[in-house]
Amino acid sequence: MALDLIFFARVLVFPGFLFLLVLVLFFDWLERKIAARFQNRMGPSYTGPFGILQPIADYIKLFSKEDITPKQTNKLLFVAAPILAFSLFAFALFFIPIDGSNVILNSSFEGDLILVLLLVTLANFGIFLSGWASLNPYSEIGATRVLTQFLGYDIPLIILAIGPAFLSKSLSIVNITASQTLPFALFIPWSFALFFIVLQAELEKDPFDIPHAETEIVGGYETEYSGRKLAFIKLSEDFQFLIGAALVTTLFLGGAHGPVLFGVPEFWHVFWFMVKTVGVVFVLEYVGNVSARLRIDQVVHGSWKLLIPLSILSLALTVIVEPSLRSVIG
Amino acid sequence: MEKFENAIEVLKNNLADAIVELNVPKPRKAYILLKPERHRDAISLLLKHVEDAELSTISGTDLGNEIELNYHMACGGTVTLKNRVSREKPVTRTITDILPGANLYEREVFDLLGVTFDGHPNLERLMLPDNWPKGEYPLRRDWEPHANQENESNSEETSQTEPAAELDDAGSVINVVMGPQHPVLHEPERFTFKVDGERVVDAEMRLGYVHRGIEKAAESMMFFQDVFLVERICGICNAAHTTCFCQAVEDIGNVETPPRALYLRTIIHELNRVHSHLLLLGVAGHLLGFESLFQHVWRDREPIMDTVERITGNRLMSGFNAIGGVRRDIAPSTVEKTLKNVEEVRKRAKFYKTVFEEDATLRLRTEGVGVLSKSDALKFCVEGPVVRGSGIAVDVRKDDPYAAYGEIPFNVICYNEGDTWARLMVRAEEVVESLNIIDYALHNLPPGRLRVRVQRKQPEGEAVSRVEAPRGELIHYVKSDGTAYPYRVKVRSPTLANLVAFPEMIRGAYIADIPAVIGSLDPCFSCTDRMVFLDTQNGHRWHWSLDEINNSKNRNGLM
Repeated sequence: MALDLIFFARVLVFPGFLFLLVLVLFFDWLERKIAARFQNRMGPSYTGPFGILQPIADYIKLFSKEDITPKQTNKLLFVAAPILAFSLFAFALFFIPIDGSNVILNSSFEGDLILVLLLVTLANFGIFLSGWASLNPYSEIGATRVLTQFLGYDIPLIILAIGPAFLSKSLSIVNITASQTLPFALFIPWSFALFFIVLQAELEKDPFDIPHAETEIVGGYETEYSGRKLAFIKLSEDFQFLIGAALVTTLFLGGAHGPVLFGVPEFWHVFWFMVKTVGVVFVLEYVGNVSARLRIDQVVHGSWKLLIPLSILSLALTVIVEPSLRSVIG
Repeated sequence: MEKFENAIEVLKNNLADAIVELNVPKPRKAYILLKPERHRDAISLLLKHVEDAELSTISGTDLGNEIELNYHMACGGTVTLKNRVSREKPVTRTITDILPGANLYEREVFDLLGVTFDGHPNLERLMLPDNWPKGEYPLRRDWEPHANQENESNSEETSQTEPAAELDDAGSVINVVMGPQHPVLHEPERFTFKVDGERVVDAEMRLGYVHRGIEKAAESMMFFQDVFLVERICGICNAAHTTCFCQAVEDIGNVETPPRALYLRTIIHELNRVHSHLLLLGVAGHLLGFESLFQHVWRDREPIMDTVERITGNRLMSGFNAIGGVRRDIAPSTVEKTLKNVEEVRKRAKFYKTVFEEDATLRLRTEGVGVLSKSDALKFCVEGPVVRGSGIAVDVRKDDPYAAYGEIPFNVICYNEGDTWARLMVRAEEVVESLNIIDYALHNLPPGRLRVRVQRKQPEGEAVSRVEAPRGELIHYVKSDGTAYPYRVKVRSPTLANLVAFPEMIRGAYIADIPAVIGSLDPCFSCTDRMVFLDTQNGHRWHWSLDEINNSKNRNGLM
């Protein structure tokens, strides 16, 4: 019984659902605030201290608004796709060790890194379906762009994720983080830098925010969505953003482990995880704010002709230098 | 000057038999009445013998029993070729085969005056709504707005409420409609793109969504009132419109404008250009997904707006020009403040120029996109930064100096690439050039009167006036019949000239290039359209009375 209580508390409250939701809303706010400061604006300022409650206000508004399903759409797909995407992203986050272990205790296994990457891929298909089911020219172009871009960037992402796994000789995310006494980013900076670029594209941030380029295709795949369903799409985007930042943190920056660990380890685990993730978010936002949006053809060329060969090369380089790094990594 | 005289010589020597009347009342302005149907010969002659000759516009005037078509050719000055057609059977030959750039102008005349152009490739409505009754030509003198047209517009024959029915998706080609409401368009206008995958196969456009009937309204207001009306054509380039209109009326009335007024006009005109170009550079950043650039450029545009407010009392609608001069003087303290602001903005403008020059993502998106070759630019008669981006150094300020431009040294910025990047760079550099002009004008401001008194009644006559608005050459044609009211006011804004070339630029480009290319044209649709209100939702259409226009012109004139 006690075990069940802990299980429910972990899944629903901390570090599970509620905590993740708060975290996602916080990062949403952070992202907007950073972007605003880059653009010489104030950003959210009125709802709560420093406008920190603005994202939650936005979601309450979205959830209470009229929810329109266009007549000609495929109803089932139109409704199910955003929820599917959202749940897959949320599920993937359950395997990220935020307080040192997975949300569901002892659920870590050899290969959950692959599972997380698979879930992210499937969730992106959910997003694609949401646009495809809308039957709107803008949505269709947006959906096609999601898929075109995603296929190009998912492959280098997975190849690059092998690097840390290879160094730690494990495919379990918990083991990868645990084996980083020093962050892997120091040993394989080439993979780390490439991972950032690929992630930028995977998260559809500038200069890769082509699938929802508003001046071209209005809202892209989410053009026809409104109300609750739009809220789910927005939430899944926010969750994807957190997963992306969390993946960098866990794979390359030592995840929830940090130099200072005393007293309650869970507290410090969450602390270090947050500090690192905020840093990653800042870098992602920085790149997004100093560049213009690229074109889909340029992005596709960039992925297949440049990033995939480069990621294979960087993996090869990792394999070559691994024996000499072994003594340092331990 | 040489070019202009050369043009007149060529016409005199080769077309003596066709010229009924040749009148050169002012330097660089000629009005030539031709025998019917000889306009094609005259235009081909000018195109052949005069370098960089372009058609500014075609303006039609209802003379009672005849309709006079004025072909305003820009060749060093303005050569206005007059071709008269009978009002009962208004048919003439098209010139689109000689000069494709005349396409939209002929459609405009067809739409508003009912002149049919034989051989025109697609003589369709341009400004008026699709359900406008046939045989009603609002710019004819005897046309009156009907009291109640609502019932009529709902009847089957005339109403065609949803244009979407004509769009057939064939195979892999789908129609992507942008507008009348779309994030890329800041004003309502409709573009239909035929798209194959990510490629644009073809583009069509439908104008007229913000047609406010300003040309018609101008006929029922007195000259001095019209200054305020034409100011409302466009908020951003309001000084260009008022300068242009005032010049035309001063030309008719033979008014000698005091030199100080000319300098002040120049200053306001250039401040307009600076803030318009900065606005566009910011918008280009937004259209290309570079939000930071957008926000920063717009922040740095504010000192200019403050300066305009300090000089004229208003941020945007300056209300500065009047027939015969300007309305307000510039105080020495304002001069000082303006010079300071100019210095500040110049630094920022130079920085943004380097941003457009050096930023890798911006260059990736704009270089080689929407290319308009030099010959195409001449063929389509595009204007302003668009034509200067294609390597043709055409600038009314240099070619046909007005206001104080004849005395102020400045360079005409010209790029040879002809792509979106070149058009943006022309603007970025022109900002600095304009700031230099303001600087020079403020340092060399002549003393004297601000304004001479002008009578309400103007003598009979006509005048063409051209200015270099921020978006390109703006032309006003004013005809007076000796009363206080103009007989005809014709406005051709630069956007209409530049839009002709848009399908040519966008064909074969990617969807993502659409915002970039539209942005680089800096379209201003409120300038382009000017008559009837149309509610596209239900096809309901109505006319505004003069009072209503008076009450609302502020609101509708902005942007």
